[in-house]
Amino acid sequence: MPSLANSTISQPRFVSRRMGAGATRLAGRTVASLGLIAAITILLYRFFHVNATTAGFLYLVTVLVIAAASGIVESTIASIVAMLCFNYFFFPPIGTLTIADPQNWVALFAFLATALVASQLSARAKRRTQETIARQHEIEKLYSLSRALLLADASRPMGQQVAQRVAQAFELPVVALYERASSSVYRATEQELPELDERLKDAAHRSTSFHDEGSKLTVAPIRLGGQPIGSLAIAGSSLSDAALHSLLNLVAIGLERAISQDSMNRAEVARESEELKSTLLDAIAHEFQTPLTSIKAVTTGLLSDSAHMLPEQQRELVSIADESADRLSKLVTDAIQLARTEGGAFRLKRGVHFVSSLVSGALREMKSLTDGREINLSLSEDLPPVWVDAEMIQMVITHLLDNALKYSPSGTAVSVRAQLSDGRVTVSIANQGPGIPVDEQSSIFEKFYRGKNDRNLKGTGMGLAIAREIMAAHGQQIWVASQPGKGAEFFVSLPLARGAEAE
Amino acid sequence: MSAARILVIDDDPQIRRAMRATLTARDYQVSDSRTGQEGLEMLRASSYDLVLLDINMPGMSGLETCRLIRAGSEIAIIMLTVSNAEKDKVDALDAGADDYITKPFSIPELLARIRATLRRLPQPPGHADLQPLLAKGVQIDLPAREVTVRGQTSRLTAKEFDLLSYLLARPNKTIAHRELLQAVWGPDYGDELEYLRVFINRLRKKIEPDPSSPQFLITDAWAGYRFKLSE
Repeated sequence: MPSLANSTISQPRFVSRRMGAGATRLAGRTVASLGLIAAITILLYRFFHVNATTAGFLYLVTVLVIAAASGIVESTIASIVAMLCFNYFFFPPIGTLTIADPQNWVALFAFLATALVASQLSARAKRRTQETIARQHEIEKLYSLSRALLLADASRPMGQQVAQRVAQAFELPVVALYERASSSVYRATEQELPELDERLKDAAHRSTSFHDEGSKLTVAPIRLGGQPIGSLAIAGSSLSDAALHSLLNLVAIGLERAISQDSMNRAEVARESEELKSTLLDAIAHEFQTPLTSIKAVTTGLLSDSAHMLPEQQRELVSIADESADRLSKLVTDAIQLARTEGGAFRLKRGVHFVSSLVSGALREMKSLTDGREINLSLSEDLPPVWVDAEMIQMVITHLLDNALKYSPSGTAVSVRAQLSDGRVTVSIANQGPGIPVDEQSSIFEKFYRGKNDRNLKGTGMGLAIAREIMAAHGQQIWVASQPGKGAEFFVSLPLARGAEAE
Repeated sequence: MSAARILVIDDDPQIRRAMRATLTARDYQVSDSRTGQEGLEMLRASSYDLVLLDINMPGMSGLETCRLIRAGSEIAIIMLTVSNAEKDKVDALDAGADDYITKPFSIPELLARIRATLRRLPQPPGHADLQPLLAKGVQIDLPAREVTVRGQTSRLTAKEFDLLSYLLARPNKTIAHRELLQAVWGPDYGDELEYLRVFINRLRKKIEPDPSSPQFLITDAWAGYRFKLSE
């Protein structure tokens, strides 16, 4: 019976057929060897009547020929049989296996020792040669596999291609590959083995090998940098350990190449689509702002022309057009900012910045709204610089300032504070408006949300959503504290810059 | 100042009409052109005091037009930008503009920019003492607004000249950003650090033998700029 070490898989018929074929070949070669010795004996004994020395050398040559042509078993049997024939036919008394002269004992043992050693050496040399040829074949197969893997089509699943190419290169009846990343099993051939999927997963997850001598099934983990990234099952051929190791390395590299190619492609696509989006948004901004520019030039031109003051009623009408143009412009700007920042699909250009310059930048941008309002600035002395995208954070502060000003009576003050707490700089903007009802405080950061009591459409409903996206992209928080009737205070946290120079 | 002559270069006809009507009402002499190419020809044909230049035009872009104007003239240039993005502003200033304004803008805002750009720094009576300055192959001829570095002469724009002479008049002393901005651009300015960054770089390219390691125009990080004079 075939041995079933470490295995429950058996294919008795397949295995015994192979074993039977080997035994038949061995028996055939043994019979042929014995025939050759018999023929030599008849020739020497019957026809040539050579002396014992000549016969001994010729027997020795025959054994060497047999050793060179066949295996260790045949040549050992041939050595013993040749020794017996030599003794029987050529050492006196001839026709018996007894030896009269003790010197002939020495000659006979010398003959046997020489024959055995020569057959051992010859058989070993032959085995080495066969092994070398086998290694050479394996190397050729590995080479052709590496070429095939390099030429693999990156647009098709790599696991399937790798399995097929391994089967082709090594002419294996069964090849299956398990890819951990996609947790799928790829088969190169139709032939099924029971429990193969389980063994593959087991090998990949526990990073252990499995071998069944009987069915010549080997399941081994594919490792990359020590981490198992999948497993490979091959059956029907015995690869040397070295070849198996090289094969697994090649497969690992093939899979890894596919994975890195894939992620590179994805990054490229993301970058291109971000650029396209950005270009489109720029074009939309330009298309909207151009007519608004001429409207604003006309309305502000009329309203500011002190030499030709408009009558009160016309002034009121032009003011309405002017304010509407402002509102439209703000809607367009906010919508584009929201589209740009939504989903965090934009790149931050972080740098080292001072909170004071971010706040003053935002105040400068809001000049038209802050005019005539009391703004209390209290930024702690010696605030460390922060590591942020200045343009984006300035946008956040601008939106918070805009809200604070819009949702509070014109006679009240707005406070901007910044302080260091818990390794971050917290910037807060507070007003003295009606505040935000508790049940609405979590909804206000949703886009297009407007307070229930505020239907006069002061804002665009996008500012806080934009601010939230920008803070999320920075990995930071935005939150609100408000008691109805006592105003609202919005907070953002900013990460500190370390060991860098501020601009 | 008598009526300043302004050239508006913008591809949008409505904006050209609105600019012409509102600026003429403020006693400026206004001409306009549809493309950068046409604008360059008009600038060659007659003299102007200021160009209002749209950054976003089909054909020759605003930035390209700005560079070409700057290559042959020190005329005041205000760029009209759409995006409020920092990059656009710096691009505009880098291309040689003196200032920019973001569309849509109000007329009072535009008039303030025009006044600031045309505004000249009053020269102190003693400023003749400062020239000609000779230092290591660098010669600055303030009255002629010319700088010669290793035999190569370049001319300064009005704002570059004002900035340089303000710093030169106070050598080896760090001048705060705000002070410089308000002195050179006017009292409405003070936080526009990007202006200073770009203009100091422009000056360095003209007066420093090696602009990447300046020996005259020194940045004092987070404080301001200083003109370093030996002795």
